[in-house]
Amino acid sequence: MAGKTAIIASNGSLFDAYKVYNIATAAAASDHEVAIFFTFEGLNLINKEAYEQLALPEGKEQMAEGLRAANVPTIPELAEMAQELEVKFIGCQMTMDLFGLEKDAFIDGIDVGGAVTFLDFAKDADVTLTF
Amino acid sequence: MNADKVLDAKGLACPMPIVKTRKEMKDMESGQVLEILATDKGAKADMTAWAKSGGHELLDIQEEGGVLKFWIKKG
Repeated sequence: MAGKTAIIASNGSLFDAYKVYNIATAAAASDHEVAIFFTFEGLNLINKEAYEQLALPEGKEQMAEGLRAANVPTIPELAEMAQELEVKFIGCQMTMDLFGLEKDAFIDGIDVGGAVTFLDFAKDADVTLTF
Repeated sequence: MNADKVLDAKGLACPMPIVKTRKEMKDMESGQVLEILATDKGAKADMTAWAKSGGHELLDIQEEGGVLKFWIKKG
């Protein structure tokens, strides 16, 4: 492995999803070991229903057309690609409980853990990012 | 320039050209050359950085009618 990248995804709009998944797939394609910790609204990015229809930020709704025109992959496509590249997805147990969501509300192949699970991965990461 | 394989990544936005390049390169032998075609302007800097970080050799970059062409030799 060329490096290690640790990402916290704590926001849930479509733009947030692109920021997280683009960096994660680019890092994994550069042979980094990558883990994403999805917490609070960031859980939308791996929620089976929500991640198909993430909202654009308020006032940016007109950009939906631009995203299609730019031939940008959809979020489910990017999430699948990230998993193919062996990016590790960690759902935050505490926020899942807070929102009343069980593991089956989320896409397959995720781990569920707490802050310490992420910190253990991140403690010797070369790159740490928060979105 | 002769290439062992050609990857057409035209029309794809970041990070797809890199993700696809990585996938192609994985199946190639060390010393083989991959030619990549891309229209994402960011690919110019990204391919350079990707090749460098992965220990590959970027042999050449050419631009022709809005299409970027890269030749990368697998390290």
